[in-house]
Amino acid sequence: MDAYLVAVGSVVLIYALLAIGLNLQYGETGLINFGHVAFFALGAYTSALLALRGWPLPVTFAVAAAVAAVAAVPLGLAALRLRADYLAIVTLGFSETVRLVLQEERAITHGVQGVPGIPKLFGALGGRSTDLAILLALLAAVALAAWATHLLKASPFGRLLRAIRDNEAAITALGKDPARYKIQVFMFGAALAGIAGAFYAHFITFISPEQFVPLVTFYVWMSIILGGVGSLRGSLAGTLMLVAFLEGSRFIRDLVPGVAEVQMASVRLAIVGLALILFVLYRPQGLFGRRAN
Amino acid sequence: MSVTRRELIATPLAAALASALPAGVLAQAGEPFRVGALNPITGAGSPYGPGMQRAILMAIEEVNAAGGAGGRRLEAFAEDTQTKPDAAVLAAKKLIDVNKVQAILGTWSSGVTLAVMPLTDEANLIQMNVSGAPAISTQDKKDLVWRYQATNDRFGAAFAEIAAKRGYKRPATMAFNNASGIGNTEGFRKAWEKRGGKVVASVVYEPNRPSYRSELQKVLAEKPDVIVTGSYLPDTTIIIREWFQSGDKNAWIIPGWAANPDLVKALGAEACEGLISVDTVSAENSGAFKHFDAMYTKAMGRPATTNVYAPMAYDMLIVLALAMEAAGPGATVAQINARIRDIANPPGTPVSTFAEGKAALAKKQKINYEGASSKLDFDQYGDVSPDFGVYVIEKGQLVRRDVVSIPADYRP
Amino acid sequence: MTLAEVANLAVNGLVEGAVIALPALALTLVMSIARFPNAATGDLMTLGAYVAVGVQALLVGSAFGAPMIGMAVATLAAVIACAIVSVAAYELIFRRLGRAAMVASLLASIGLAFLIRSLITLLVGHEQHTFALPLVRAWNFGGLRILPSDLVIGAVAALVLAAVFAWLRFGRSGRLLRAVADNPDLARLSGIRAQRLMWLLWALAGALSAIGGVLLGVKSVVMPELGWELLLPAFAAMILGGIGSPAGAVIGALLMGVGQELSVPLVGPTYKIAVAFGVLFVVLLLRPAGLLGRPELAR
Repeated sequence: MDAYLVAVGSVVLIYALLAIGLNLQYGETGLINFGHVAFFALGAYTSALLALRGWPLPVTFAVAAAVAAVAAVPLGLAALRLRADYLAIVTLGFSETVRLVLQEERAITHGVQGVPGIPKLFGALGGRSTDLAILLALLAAVALAAWATHLLKASPFGRLLRAIRDNEAAITALGKDPARYKIQVFMFGAALAGIAGAFYAHFITFISPEQFVPLVTFYVWMSIILGGVGSLRGSLAGTLMLVAFLEGSRFIRDLVPGVAEVQMASVRLAIVGLALILFVLYRPQGLFGRRAN
Repeated sequence: MSVTRRELIATPLAAALASALPAGVLAQAGEPFRVGALNPITGAGSPYGPGMQRAILMAIEEVNAAGGAGGRRLEAFAEDTQTKPDAAVLAAKKLIDVNKVQAILGTWSSGVTLAVMPLTDEANLIQMNVSGAPAISTQDKKDLVWRYQATNDRFGAAFAEIAAKRGYKRPATMAFNNASGIGNTEGFRKAWEKRGGKVVASVVYEPNRPSYRSELQKVLAEKPDVIVTGSYLPDTTIIIREWFQSGDKNAWIIPGWAANPDLVKALGAEACEGLISVDTVSAENSGAFKHFDAMYTKAMGRPATTNVYAPMAYDMLIVLALAMEAAGPGATVAQINARIRDIANPPGTPVSTFAEGKAALAKKQKINYEGASSKLDFDQYGDVSPDFGVYVIEKGQLVRRDVVSIPADYRP
Repeated sequence: MTLAEVANLAVNGLVEGAVIALPALALTLVMSIARFPNAATGDLMTLGAYVAVGVQALLVGSAFGAPMIGMAVATLAAVIACAIVSVAAYELIFRRLGRAAMVASLLASIGLAFLIRSLITLLVGHEQHTFALPLVRAWNFGGLRILPSDLVIGAVAALVLAAVFAWLRFGRSGRLLRAVADNPDLARLSGIRAQRLMWLLWALAGALSAIGGVLLGVKSVVMPELGWELLLPAFAAMILGGIGSPAGAVIGALLMGVGQELSVPLVGPTYKIAVAFGVLFVVLLLRPAGLLGRPELAR
């Protein structure tokens, strides 16, 4: 049971990295990013492909974050001109375009065949130790990201972000250009997603474009809604709840043998949908968020 | 026709109860052998996954009813891969770590198999799949992975052989944009070019589109005499419908999982007339398929020809059980694994059911299980080198017109 | 590329665009009045397709079995079913969310989409279904191929759209709806009964989705993911045409349909999807309100 829990824990932490970045973009700054999975994908592919060429992992991780951050710039620019729901669609289109490029440019990305045999993080340790080491590294990464985000939120930069979210006109009136800050927030969130992607690639050891679909973005959104928009604790709690639910539903079926596996999949999706609706209706602030939104 | 709820509940219920009771209560001579059925119940593979899962569970019931294998009963644990590698990894981890399975059977998509293989290899478990990607052979470092579906390259070679035999000179290809679809058409192209031919047009199309007319038009512009596809049922339905309505007259060579009775049901006999459907077959006089088909049709309400992967999944379990029987009581996973080629490859007395095989093994005979899906002769990579049945749809029925063999040592 | 081939691509694009125009219109109507993108539109299309295919299967072999009549009855059933579900969703979910942030309603609509889809697969399974319609050959005009079925699809879509436009422009409730869209507070002050109008709006959105789903199902196959896959193109069409402009949504859909198909010779079938987003991006950069949208709604 423990090796399974270690694996589940690793998945929770990877999603947590994604959620922290997204929460900073939406919760703090009010930017609606429906293309988050694109940065996850770019980070995963960058790190995987470089590692297969022999580059050392710490370097590939750093490059993965950088590539994701740079890729966020066009979206940041778009955010300047577009209102919220338009931005949502454009970011979604962006992530689908990234996925298509990964799918088509076979020479670089192996296309739909995917990239097998990615070196496992801490693979040299072997067996259980590898899995534990990955978990610990992820814990460290999440702790670092949370701490950095916390500092950011408490800083003048953070206040500016919240001001942009609540009253952008006032910012401009004060002579500050929201553009710079929006782009920076996009880049920071994207960098976190890129690192999450690198961890993912070296954990699963096989990546393909079909793993980076918009549904992943929606799962992350669900996490921050459940946990509480704008709250760091919320990001963590939300991802825990999300993964607990997705994985927990396996065991529920073991206890309730009347439901066939085929139907269980439908039941799982139904409960996800219902949970979204109910949370939005009755507890929009999530578990830890602030009431006024 | 879809499966009735009652039928679906029956076997998983039994399996779930079996797993809920302490092993000691049910075990006969030895501890039960735990089998993980890891299939695509949802996602892109969902047309096939439930049937595959049912086939494995049916086989387990059959083996247990015949007294078990190697003195042990078989126990099933089923999980859904969702046809996604990351979901499959967690499902596999749960099966390995929580349910303590000793073999994982029935992964379908290449991405899933490639993601799960490192886990089963690390835990030294047997893995059996129906995926097509070439990488699976090369990544199979410990010889624990067994592939029950012809590789993409072999399929492509079969398509090429069929096209050549029928005298076509100007083939074009249309591929579903995933590893399997492209793998098949690439396999075809390599085999065709090896014969000195040239593919006049090729197109890769996206899944889930409402129409494929522009893709079809691109291919038809080069006036091919046959179009070879790597496709699935929904897209094939749309493509053939649009092709038929356009009035073009070329031939089609389509994989058996896409050109099956459901296609005829959707489009009618006239549109499907003359389509060539290719899939792997067992030896001509093997009764294994008939035996399996009878059980499957009863359980699922539709014949096994509607799900080409179900017989493969069934064979996985029977092969495993026969290997267990051959390895004897108290055998380790490694010992069981070592007997797989023994009981499945020639020479030996051909057997087509578990009971037959068990009886023959009791008489110390060497057996050769000829499966429901193919004759199951595994090569050095653990891949089957099956024969391919060439079926032509005539008046709404799939009629076998030919059988094509690709040599076991074929390399593109 | 011969002229005929280009024309064929354009025709195909028009038909696809016509099918997408219906959900795009539903999206833009809801967007302009309820002020959020309704992500459940796609799965409402799926629901409509399933209801229709089921009803048609029941009717085959009976007095209503003839294809045209059977389809008409089936489509009617789909329209009624989706209109009811849509209004129920408004009453139970979206009305209560009221003034909440747009994202809340959007996420709730995604939840609704999942719920609808999972209930369909729970009841009916994952296999594909097709409408029992005869296959007919295309008419060939020197290389230009027109499928009679496509013609019917286009005609039905055009008729429905024309009817909706006429209603919006000349029908009493339609004009009231536009008033509410333009200025909800003023409309309420002048005594327009907003509640009934909202029911009308949501029923209309459901009906449009249903018809769109049926047309889509006729053209392709009925599968659980049917509508969800078309959601993004429908959104894109709505935005291209300009939020709040019904005509814009339709024009946007047609432009995107044709544009995508015509780009295939240049970028290939896979990237044609990216072309749609590229076009969208460029248009929004230059004209954030979309083609026919009103600039004051843009920021």
